[in-house]
Amino acid sequence: MTDILFVKAALPRAGALVLPLAEGFTLSGLAQEADAACGGAVSRGLEAAGFKGRKGQSCTLWAPGGHLSRIVAVGLGPKPDAESAQQAGGAALPLIASEPEAVIAAEGLNAALTAALAFGARLRGYRFDKYRTREKPEDKPKLLRLSLASAEPAEAKAAFQPLSALADGVFLSRDLVSEPPNILHPEEMAERCKVLEKLGVTVEILGPKELRKLGFGALLGVAMGSAREPRMVVMQWRGAAQDAQPVAFIGKGVTFDTGGISIKPAGGMEDMKYDMAGAGTVIGLMGALAGRKAKVNAVGLVGLVENMPSGTAQRPGDVVRSYSGQTIEVINTDAEGRLVLADVLWYARERFRPRFMVDLATLTGAIIVALGHEHAGMFANDDTLAQQLSAAGAATGEAVWRMPLGEAYDKLIKSDIADMKNVGGRPGGSISAAQFLQRFIDTREGHVPWAHLDIAGTAWATKDSALTPKGATAFGVRLLDRLVADHYEG
Amino acid sequence: MAPGPDWEQAGAAGLGALPADETRAVLDATALAPAEAVAFATGAVLGATRAGLRLELLHPAPEAVAPLWHDAWAVAQGVALARGLVAAPGNVLTPKEFGHRLKALERHGIAVQLLGRKRLRQAGFGGLLAVGQGSANPPRLAVLRWAGRIAAPPVVFVAKGITFDTGGLSLKPAAGMEQMRADMAGAAACAGAMLALALRDSPAPAAAVLALAENAIGAAAYRPGDVVTTLSGRTVEIIDTDAEGRLVLADALNYAVRAFRPEAVVDLATLTGAAITALGHHRAALFGNDAPLGATLCAAGEAVGERLWPLPIGAAHREDLRSGIADLRQCAAGPGQPDACHAAAFLREFLGDTPPAWAHVDMAGQAGNPPGLPEGPSGFGVRLLERLVALRFEDAHRR
Repeated sequence: MTDILFVKAALPRAGALVLPLAEGFTLSGLAQEADAACGGAVSRGLEAAGFKGRKGQSCTLWAPGGHLSRIVAVGLGPKPDAESAQQAGGAALPLIASEPEAVIAAEGLNAALTAALAFGARLRGYRFDKYRTREKPEDKPKLLRLSLASAEPAEAKAAFQPLSALADGVFLSRDLVSEPPNILHPEEMAERCKVLEKLGVTVEILGPKELRKLGFGALLGVAMGSAREPRMVVMQWRGAAQDAQPVAFIGKGVTFDTGGISIKPAGGMEDMKYDMAGAGTVIGLMGALAGRKAKVNAVGLVGLVENMPSGTAQRPGDVVRSYSGQTIEVINTDAEGRLVLADVLWYARERFRPRFMVDLATLTGAIIVALGHEHAGMFANDDTLAQQLSAAGAATGEAVWRMPLGEAYDKLIKSDIADMKNVGGRPGGSISAAQFLQRFIDTREGHVPWAHLDIAGTAWATKDSALTPKGATAFGVRLLDRLVADHYEG
Repeated sequence: MAPGPDWEQAGAAGLGALPADETRAVLDATALAPAEAVAFATGAVLGATRAGLRLELLHPAPEAVAPLWHDAWAVAQGVALARGLVAAPGNVLTPKEFGHRLKALERHGIAVQLLGRKRLRQAGFGGLLAVGQGSANPPRLAVLRWAGRIAAPPVVFVAKGITFDTGGLSLKPAAGMEQMRADMAGAAACAGAMLALALRDSPAPAAAVLALAENAIGAAAYRPGDVVTTLSGRTVEIIDTDAEGRLVLADALNYAVRAFRPEAVVDLATLTGAAITALGHHRAALFGNDAPLGATLCAAGEAVGERLWPLPIGAAHREDLRSGIADLRQCAAGPGQPDACHAAAFLREFLGDTPPAWAHVDMAGQAGNPPGLPEGPSGFGVRLLERLVALRFEDAHRR
């Protein structure tokens, strides 16, 4: 774990020095001092490397002189902003991770950008290595202390505080999503939600007995085949007035998805441990909101099940009665996420009457075919909420792309025997899934602004990016924290 | 009800309820406004699945209806042309025959130029020729021009016209292959739109560049792994011979941009299964580089009931097309790819150094009628393009 400090600007006597530089830079401040101490090696080195300060550009100068072991320059792009500062911090981290100490020369940047640099570095420094028991020490990252040299360290530190809480939320989510499915089953995942109690979040856990009593037939049907009991966790953060209507986040938490009787092919099935990433995001988000004491009332609800084939498993052809009373014909037991969400969405709506509802789910393979891995699919019944989410996505780099809803797609899930069926066929597969969910949102009793984020393509990364090492991305934590911060606080 | 799609549906439904042997029907539109009456009649005409039916429209103000009807009739003629082309079987409608049928449009004032294999080879249409080289029926490029009256560069429609798509060496499964005669529905729609513009004497100059080929399996067929030099000079590594549409479009787009220096280019193609997975049969996928053009197309689609939905071309989509041997690969390998986005990212590379406003419509799910309607070709795209021209290109003083 790396300590992040904010200090007065002074040239370090050893270790690494990081120079965040914008396009068209001239060396000044610590960079200029370092250049002088190294006999001009910095300016010559950057020139020789063709370093121009472009976004995403970086350059390492080894043993440049003085007692520094390396100088790392990272580009801030044409005009430094929070986003490019985060990216630069993220880009720098792997280049200094093998040093015990490093200083980032941010004395030329304001407090907010300095905090953004630290935030980027912190996010990129995430590592999930608890199951690597024989890793050689030289292969482990060594960075113990990362100092940000600042003209106003107290302000920068204050600006970093909420971002640090946000990073904690992101890491909580990444930890949950990274855990293997034999360790993280529904019961265990529910237990881990209790860490949020320390932050002031109320955590209620409902087991099979309570869920049966409530009538969660859709969720329980999915859980039937597993030896592991299902759970629903209700998390509440009260940061606003007692009577203020809450915002609600709902997550799909299938801790492992074999597909059930409609079993998946073997190739790639190991990825199905992250079929609980929607729930992972909701839990991380609740941690972030509580950690930074967001002035909002927020509730997070996650439905946790394991989808297994067995003698007691749900069958294709079964009809289940959801908590809403609507009946569902199960055509494909591998379309289980929407069954879980159906009951949790209805419960959230009934109990909390929220200002809006956003659900997240690794719901369909079709969304990957539609959009790839750069955007999550967004379905919404409310243009304002959709615009707010799009803007938050653009600001955080967790991008969403709006997809259509409509009556023609709703018809695809008509059933001959029940109120609806749980799949509508391959064409428009993500859309008919969203239509299914919408039937548990919009009712005669009125309209709740709602958005559904299909994160099947964005929850897991197969390669490193500036803020996220490959693996669990915690997609949605930063996006939804931003949504709340920009529109629903105070 | 709005004068557009709703009254049309009513007209189509009314006609659908007629007994099969009926030869004459009267449409009672006496209570409708002229625009509604025309929509009602349009729906009836487009909904008719048989020939030889005589329809009469009753309306208290025929003089108000007639000019509107003339334009609607022109569009219906275009739709009928497109449907006829799509319905023609693959052994009948070869690229050569497609060219012949397009030639017949000259009597409506459309200039039609056909380029055969020799000319294509001289000019360097490497993409189109590669796709066509496995077939006994050689490829054609058809160029249609409608002069209009406005002195401006034309809007150009570009389309894929694969008269039959076996998939080539990357052969398609047998089940459902018969539907691949409709893999020229984009080209048919553009031809239909040109006819509609000509019949209603549109003032807007328009052109269509249609790449016609049969993607057959054969001894001379192109292979996965081949590298093809396209008309633009860019080299392409072939990954899957069944992703042939983007190759013929690459050449046709590049030709369109160079030959016409157009204000806008819109291409139509039954391009990817991924577009169907993404949006189903109720909306076609829209890509492009120009927000206003895209917005106008979407508006046109809503107005005529040929609906679109925008999808992104992301940096990663272009990145996925990097090739180890050529300038780019034609598609990404393996299942589950965002292939509609990849195809759009691919096409964008062929718009030249100063790309015009461009929109790409992937209508793979729209060539036939959507589920629930009588089976058959839809003529999708004709009305979309015709309405686009009406909304955006017929004002001589625009900009």
